[in-house]
Amino acid sequence: MSARRSGALGGRAAVVGIGATDFGKDSGRSELALAAEAVRAALADAGLGPGDVDGMVTFTMDTSPEITVAQAAGIGELSFFSRVHYGGGAACATVLQAALAVASGLAEVVVCYRAFNERSGRRFGAGVARREPSAEGVALGWALPFGLLTPASWVAMAARRYLHVHGLTPEVFGHVAVTARRHAARNPAAYFHGRPITLADHAASRPIAEPLRLLDCCQETDGGQALVVTSLDRARALPHPPAVVVAAAQGAGRGQEQMTGFYRGEVARLPEAGVVARQLWGSSGLRPADIDAAILYDHFTPYVLMQLEEFGFCAPGGAGAFVAAGALPLNTHGGQLGEAYLHGMNGVAEAVRLLRGSSSNQVAGVRHVLVTAGTGVPTSGLILGADG
Amino acid sequence: MSDLYERLKAYEGRPAFSGRGRDPVNAPMIRHWCEAMGDTGPAYAGAAPVAPPTMLQAWTLGGLGGGAAGRTDAYGALFALLDEAGCTAVVATDCEQEYVRPLRPGDVITFDGVIESVTPRKETRLGAGHFVTTRTEIRAGGELAGIHRFRILKYAPHPKPAGAPASPASPAPPAPSAAAARPRPVVNRDNAGFWEGVAEHRLLIQRCDACGRLRFPWLPGCGACGSPRWTAVPASGAGTVHSYVVMHHPLAPGFDGPYAVGLIELAEGVRMISNVTGVPPDRVRIGMPVSLDFVRADGQDLPVFRAAGPAEVTPRASRPPSGGGSRTSPSPGSPSPGSRPSDSRPSGSRPSDSPPPDSRPSDTPPPDTPPPNTELPPLTVPVTRTLIVAGALVSRDYQDVHHDPEAARAKGAPDIFMNILTTNGLVGRYLTDHFGPEAVLRKVAIRLGVPNYPGDTLVMTGTINSVCADERIAEVGITGTNSLGRHVTGTVTLSLPGERA
Repeated sequence: MSARRSGALGGRAAVVGIGATDFGKDSGRSELALAAEAVRAALADAGLGPGDVDGMVTFTMDTSPEITVAQAAGIGELSFFSRVHYGGGAACATVLQAALAVASGLAEVVVCYRAFNERSGRRFGAGVARREPSAEGVALGWALPFGLLTPASWVAMAARRYLHVHGLTPEVFGHVAVTARRHAARNPAAYFHGRPITLADHAASRPIAEPLRLLDCCQETDGGQALVVTSLDRARALPHPPAVVVAAAQGAGRGQEQMTGFYRGEVARLPEAGVVARQLWGSSGLRPADIDAAILYDHFTPYVLMQLEEFGFCAPGGAGAFVAAGALPLNTHGGQLGEAYLHGMNGVAEAVRLLRGSSSNQVAGVRHVLVTAGTGVPTSGLILGADG
Repeated sequence: MSDLYERLKAYEGRPAFSGRGRDPVNAPMIRHWCEAMGDTGPAYAGAAPVAPPTMLQAWTLGGLGGGAAGRTDAYGALFALLDEAGCTAVVATDCEQEYVRPLRPGDVITFDGVIESVTPRKETRLGAGHFVTTRTEIRAGGELAGIHRFRILKYAPHPKPAGAPASPASPAPPAPSAAAARPRPVVNRDNAGFWEGVAEHRLLIQRCDACGRLRFPWLPGCGACGSPRWTAVPASGAGTVHSYVVMHHPLAPGFDGPYAVGLIELAEGVRMISNVTGVPPDRVRIGMPVSLDFVRADGQDLPVFRAAGPAEVTPRASRPPSGGGSRTSPSPGSPSPGSRPSDSRPSGSRPSDSPPPDSRPSDTPPPDTPPPNTELPPLTVPVTRTLIVAGALVSRDYQDVHHDPEAARAKGAPDIFMNILTTNGLVGRYLTDHFGPEAVLRKVAIRLGVPNYPGDTLVMTGTINSVCADERIAEVGITGTNSLGRHVTGTVTLSLPGERA
């Protein structure tokens, strides 16, 4: 992989607008309506109008096509549209693709969005008992007849191995949950606003897929989140201080699977996060010590620990103690455990707020924020930075 | 109290059954029973056999020609009332039998039962309904021989998903929770060879023809060198648990949890996802040795991995210091409770429609009285179609769901399933196999959980709850699990051989 090529992208584009719907459990409106609402909100936040937009990026999993969201939001001709695969692994990669389009001149203002009724509509947590006999279906199909077909169960397999390899107890996962809920408690936009939890609450929550308990699992959310990306030059003329795309990367490991990475090397690690980490550090010249806050994808607590280890914040097995010590401001919006599950897109928005100084759990003097995307799948990451 | 429940409750105390066994106790029926159950207890054979105590109810049933022999008008009216209320389906849930005296060929059987209780409406996994308990006294030549308490659930089945067969007109036997089919393997041209191997009870992994690397899952090219050429080779079937999950929520269709899913590392070095069987889910551990087995679930053969049996069930508690006085000391050469060979099958063996399960050689001397908390060696019983059908017929239970797959499917079950009397018989056999021919069953009380379908494997485990040394009475807690979860739990009381037996 080429750090040099990624480096050519750094500093060319910025996130200039963020917009979301309310985060709830029963939105009462269509996924398309949620997407359009988030896009309008993000454009308003950016100080731009629908006529400024010429590019759109979303997830392959999104049910609202770029062209339909464009129609519903009053956006006209598009010169760039793209989708990224692998569930939440796409989150930071939507910004990567937008930045690529902007840097290459294919588009000038690109909107990234993700919207769904993930609680009142199709609930990912329920699992899928049947798959089409495509290559992707077959890959997931090896586990289906044995009753391993939910995201929690796939993560639990790695989590059990993690505890075994490092001689730990599930309490290490509790530190991640407690941290997220402490932040969510102070975030008025969070579903769990005003409702912190303790380690004892975590330990007492009901088993879902042992060793995972209910409070190790993120929420299911109805809602939408959109981001506006444009060139750094144009960003400087807009109302908010730009959140500069300092580095962006995607990563898949050797023998990569989607959530079923059981057949390669050490199950208690996230090699694809390592692929992303090496690129982000290599292209930016930054190190973990330069990061002022991190928004790490948290659909399930164990993978937050493994990400901290892959990115080099601590040694393998040491992340539980690292989180417990509060050594790095982490998931200051409350994460997907506490704020909302928006497939990681709300995490990118939180990184932007931290750089603007408008987070509910603001950290003083933030210069660089690390953001990651879906774990256990081919994934992506960003380092967003303050301008200048 | 609802109006319906008041009307149901009025049947409590009224007679349920009254009649005379169609045949006296006889040696051929005893022999057929023992052959079906795989029970080689010497007391049940020879010139002067006794009947296996767990046959108690069989002597009262009408069989194919006898219909609902001995059922009273009151019991029929109670069922009609429940049918009208929508509780058209019935499933047996509990069977509790006390054995007062042995039955011998020539004994003429009479029986009288009462409706002991009808519960208020309860929500169950199967649907809402009422539990009805009957208590029947069985007499031989007018003398009390045993008491049979039977509990059924009469319930309104949950609505079937679209496309499922319509509800049968007649009262439907169990539409078990596991009627929802287990997820199917996802098969296409790239991995069809693996599932063809499974159908032949072989576990095939791929070996790259170019670099020799073994690989799983199946792919049409080598992840190490990229070569498209490969050969399928059979795995030895030995492996260890590399990681595992105990599933609680949501349970996958076809499972009644919690259940254990393992990431198995085969001896060949590749890993695969499968179920860990032969131990309760909470006893699975990383590093545990396992061996390949095959189960059939919803018409699909699946490779599963069985925990190495006896090594995992060494006694939890060591023997208490001697000095208990009345407990007989071990006779020389007498095996200790943990050392008796179990029926666990060698790795890779396929349960087939072959004869009933192996059993202990009948000349093994009885083991010494074990202390409480001792775990009995497990008994592994392949649940063959033959066992299910033979077990139903020797217990004179001709309900079609126990022998006719089409009829079973029409009533919402994926296949035929074992009747409660067969389970009861296997529980009895497990205990008398273990404690030897001198041990006498006094009471067997069981509760059914998930069904036993053909192709599954039933693993029975037991723990001695208490031993009354003076009376030489032991109480043993038993559990029988299959790939769907707990099939049976219960308590068995038996008197042990010894001076006072």
